[in-house]
Amino acid sequence: MSAGLNIYVLVKQVPDTGSKAGLNPDGTIDRAKAKRMLNPFDRFALQAALHAKRTYGGKVTAISMGPPPAVEILLETLEHGVDEAYLLSDRRLAASDTLATAYALYKVLNYIGKPDLIFCGLQTTDGDTAQVGPQLAERLGLPQVTYCEDFHMEDGKVHARRIIEGGYQKVVAETPLLLTVANSYHPLEYKSFRGAWRVRRLARDQEELKKFIHTIDLDLVGADPDRTGLKGSPTIVAATEKVGELGGSCKMHEGQSAHELVGDVLKASDLSQFLVGAAQK
Amino acid sequence: MSEQPDVSAFCPKGDVLVIAEQILGDLQPVTLELLGAGRLLADKMERNLKCLVLGYNLGDIPQKLIEAGADEVYVADDKELFSYRTLPYRRVVIDFLDSLPEAPHTCLLGSTTTGRDLAPRISAHFDTGLTADCTELDIGPYEHKNKVDPSKIGLYPNCLYAIRPSFGESLKARILGPWKNPQMATTRPGVMTPNKYEPGRKGKITTVPVKLIPEDYRLIVADTVREVSKGVKLTEADVIIGGGYGLGSADGFDLLRQLADTFENSAIGASRKVVDLGWIPYQHQVGQTGKTVRPKLYIACGISGAIQHRVGMSKSGLIIAINKDPDSPIFKFAHHGIVGDIYQIVPEMIKQFAEIQSGRGVEAVVGSH
Repeated sequence: MSAGLNIYVLVKQVPDTGSKAGLNPDGTIDRAKAKRMLNPFDRFALQAALHAKRTYGGKVTAISMGPPPAVEILLETLEHGVDEAYLLSDRRLAASDTLATAYALYKVLNYIGKPDLIFCGLQTTDGDTAQVGPQLAERLGLPQVTYCEDFHMEDGKVHARRIIEGGYQKVVAETPLLLTVANSYHPLEYKSFRGAWRVRRLARDQEELKKFIHTIDLDLVGADPDRTGLKGSPTIVAATEKVGELGGSCKMHEGQSAHELVGDVLKASDLSQFLVGAAQK
Repeated sequence: MSEQPDVSAFCPKGDVLVIAEQILGDLQPVTLELLGAGRLLADKMERNLKCLVLGYNLGDIPQKLIEAGADEVYVADDKELFSYRTLPYRRVVIDFLDSLPEAPHTCLLGSTTTGRDLAPRISAHFDTGLTADCTELDIGPYEHKNKVDPSKIGLYPNCLYAIRPSFGESLKARILGPWKNPQMATTRPGVMTPNKYEPGRKGKITTVPVKLIPEDYRLIVADTVREVSKGVKLTEADVIIGGGYGLGSADGFDLLRQLADTFENSAIGASRKVVDLGWIPYQHQVGQTGKTVRPKLYIACGISGAIQHRVGMSKSGLIIAINKDPDSPIFKFAHHGIVGDIYQIVPEMIKQFAEIQSGRGVEAVVGSH
């Protein structure tokens, strides 16, 4: 480890559901029009990766899989201090489920080097599965720490704290190790002005940018196209249905003073039964 | 039922397997829920419901699992399995599945920190499909016509329907993967209904060998800590005051805590947005990526009511929503909607509740915990 740690962070571009742009009137997303953003969970993974680099030395490489616009989020990771980035972009990846995605990322990691630490967000906001990280660890044959909310290194081992129901586990793991980072970890720090400026200048020169963000495809990483995309996915979305029609039975209270509004609700529903001391009555 | 193609090739046999979860000897509620859901699936296909439990000194847990609906329980009891660790648990589950003469049709785990850690490892090892965080499960037919992969075309009579809300969209997705067993899913805690306990119910209990290899020790658990709950647990509270982005800042939760303190057995909930913003810890998050709650009363303050939040709290007994925006989606499913400013409405609520309490001769308790 004389050259420092080889740190990877996996990131994904997702639709920004917080913004109204690209939201159809019925609440569904128009992915073509929707604004895009770095998956919010990945911000914690990015913070963890940068923290590991700053504290223990090494290099951080960001990896993403997605269509060409995903370069935007890789630029964002560079602004935050990531050293180099890879975008796996290939039409044959379309409709990949989590297993096919994990396979493709596994081939990317094999292609670009030997990791010491791999950080993933806990899950994505557009899939919400939390599966790709552990599936990737399985493909790589690595131990994993999911729901990691804190970690430090000692004698080359990772000491981590992971959330469990109603408590936590303290674990000690060997590297190489894959971690998925919970959102109770430290939030992503603001990017430094210098870092952001350097990257923005870089982004003006496409040739220069290519030295930092490498766009790669399935052939380059030696992935079997039959194991990716729709063909390589053991699951399919067979049907979607509207979540039960919303009632419309809400009794609205508006246009009065706060005193009257609260009084109205209290008259209409017996909230007093829930109050402290109600049991004594 | 005439002229159906020969489906025997696509009609995988196999039982329904639930992988139980216990923490330090406490059987987790989600396991009982899985046995409830699993029982229905097994009965529909006329298969057995099996349950695998891993741990140390499990005592009467295997018998409990039978009383909760399992026909057969497999027990891996070894001191190396005392605390959950990915690699040893993974090894035992994989060896167990390999030892069966026939792969289970379906394999279910809880969508907990353990289930979501273990299930993807098993699914990746066997290259089978896994659907996360399901809110409904069923068995039914499926005809695959998509020609991308001709080997998959066909009619599949008994598929696991793994049903889950699809994010950001008011849709439920039915996900399936009948091509390879076991068809896997994790289910969201608090959603499925457990079977009624049948004390004395008989079933077969079989011991599973535990054989670990040095590689399985690359991670050790130094400590497992169950925190003595600070205040009321979200999932057990009778009253939840939920806060959203409409609060404007983290300080808004101070006001909500004052409101919560006027209620018995109350807790603070939050939307994901404010958790992501760091206004309040993750433990308070209600919704798709947080907890599913069913309090008797839910007061939503400045929560827009997006589907991700709604799926976690819409089964609350009484929902009162306070929001400035009369078009806010939360008013589509709340029972009472107050259009107004939280910072005027909530203090008024606290005041009027205090009046009710003082009318009873009980002193209002404000800001005590």
